[in-house]
Amino acid sequence: MVKTRIWALLLGGIFLACVAAYFVLDGMQPAGQVANIYQNGVCIASFDLSKVAEGETYVVQDSHGCNIIEVEPGRIRMKEADCPDQICVRAGWSGEGAKPIVCLPHRLVIQIEAEANMQGTDALDAISN
Amino acid sequence: MMTRRLTRNALLTAVALIIFVVELAIPNPFPVPGVKLGLANIVTVYAMFKIGPADTLMILLSRILLGSMFSGQMMSFFYSLTGGIFCYLVMLVLVRILSTHQIWVCSVIGAICHNFGQILVAIVLTKTTALIVYLPVLVISGILTGLFTGFAAQFLCEKMEKLRMNTP
Repeated sequence: MVKTRIWALLLGGIFLACVAAYFVLDGMQPAGQVANIYQNGVCIASFDLSKVAEGETYVVQDSHGCNIIEVEPGRIRMKEADCPDQICVRAGWSGEGAKPIVCLPHRLVIQIEAEANMQGTDALDAISN
Repeated sequence: MMTRRLTRNALLTAVALIIFVVELAIPNPFPVPGVKLGLANIVTVYAMFKIGPADTLMILLSRILLGSMFSGQMMSFFYSLTGGIFCYLVMLVLVRILSTHQIWVCSVIGAICHNFGQILVAIVLTKTTALIVYLPVLVISGILTGLFTGFAAQFLCEKMEKLRMNTP
């Protein structure tokens, strides 16, 4: 039988390690200025956040539901979504952290990366849409 | 004996479902996918220690299936199911090595594994490995909520033990 103290120490250690990992990840800067929007792992649109105009919106509509993405110079957010949990909307503006914005019910991910990941078409096309 | 077992499992499933539905009404202050209290886990932990692994699995699976239906989010079924199975497998081991005073440990490690399973499904479904950055937050939330549900389960086990002694 392992002593309770050992368990407490082990769990406390994991807790502290995760708190440290959280702050390290939180302090990490995004790899670039391009917001890639992924649906089911496929990049469906890219926005160069250093070049976009004020208040541009991009609508993703499919069988899962509808998401309205808003871009501003330097940042991007999920403005509206008809998903049940609204976690993506409440995540707010991205641009400071390296964390992706996720809408799990719609399998949609917004991630800030170094370069556009659009396949097939030129990324600049997506910006003009 | 079969009727008794069926009734008890049905009762525990109902209790778990009620806790689950009540928890749905509690707004989540953290906009992180997967963070939740997981109060229904109290029933899982209790059943694991006081009834047995086979019955726990029945209660857990029934609760996850019916819970996904009741919440109207069948999408969450896969997350809950994978998380639940991860949690169950690890509890299967822990129940053998933990004493009755360490029930909370089982809940904490179970919660961590549950969140780990959920993030794994999220990565597979969205095909985005970058979601792994949410792991530290989910482990932290798993430890905190697991502690709460764990002590609740331990308290429940001790009280039920006393209750049993008083019943003729």
